[in-house]
Amino acid sequence: MKKFEFKGVKFFVAVLVLLAALYFYDRSCAIKALEKSGEVFSMLLPIFSVVIILMAVIGYFAKPMDILKHLGDESRSKSWFIAIVAGILSHGPMYAWYPLLEDMRKKGLRDGLVAAFFYARAVKLPLLPLMIDYFGVVFTVTLNLLILIASFFQGLLIEKLEKKRA
Amino acid sequence: MNKKPKFSFLLKKSAMGFLSLSPMIVGVVVLVAIIQSILTPEVMMRFFTNDPLTDTLKGALIGAVSAGNAIVSYLVGGELSDHGVSLFAVSAFLLSWVTLGIVQLPLEAKVLGIKFTVLRNILAFVFTIIIAVLTTLSVKFFS
Repeated sequence: MKKFEFKGVKFFVAVLVLLAALYFYDRSCAIKALEKSGEVFSMLLPIFSVVIILMAVIGYFAKPMDILKHLGDESRSKSWFIAIVAGILSHGPMYAWYPLLEDMRKKGLRDGLVAAFFYARAVKLPLLPLMIDYFGVVFTVTLNLLILIASFFQGLLIEKLEKKRA
Repeated sequence: MNKKPKFSFLLKKSAMGFLSLSPMIVGVVVLVAIIQSILTPEVMMRFFTNDPLTDTLKGALIGAVSAGNAIVSYLVGGELSDHGVSLFAVSAFLLSWVTLGIVQLPLEAKVLGIKFTVLRNILAFVFTIIIAVLTTLSVKFFS
């Protein structure tokens, strides 16, 4: 196993300094921010546990060659479909998925598929009734269809641009 | 021949991977909370001027810095819409809330690379503007 190392300690310290500055400027705002952080953490812990288990399960059952076969250069249309569906089904904040995606990229996951996955996450299936209630059926259907189309084109563009620059 | 690693080993490995990112993740969560407590819907409302073009851009920018749960974006978006903010701006706001993340940029760049992060976020911003415009025009066309 690689040597353990904390990442982003400087960023963390900078945020703490910002929080301390806010505390002196507006105490109630800083306390509100701390309370919100606590709420977010309690919401995130189960999601993190699922992602950690999912990473281990993928690592156990899927060999790098299998991932490459489905999400590498072969079977292109299938790989776009898998990435977009995975994006729609994924829950929690974007950053909860970074470690898993980093791991899968090392095993051959293409950047275009990562981008398509991220953009397709904008489709929130459980929240569709709420969106319809707030903004109407036409808005909800159009927005979500366009998101799916954009996910594919965004991924495709990233691959083309990266190839051009390479 | 390579021996298949034990599940417990893989579980520990992925947990350690997460733990190594914990300062970054905690930092992002606290930063998001700070921004949310400063950028209330009342504050956001002051930014809009009822010009579709600039409001769309502003909606996308405000959504990009206000990361958090998507439900919150619907509530805030609904509130902005009720106060007369155009659908161009509200759609851009809703979409950039979930697809862009200025607050989590350092973490994304650290994990997935600066080049990919910059490219992905620029494209996501452009697509957000296009989708917001097309969605609003469709709603106007069908209603």
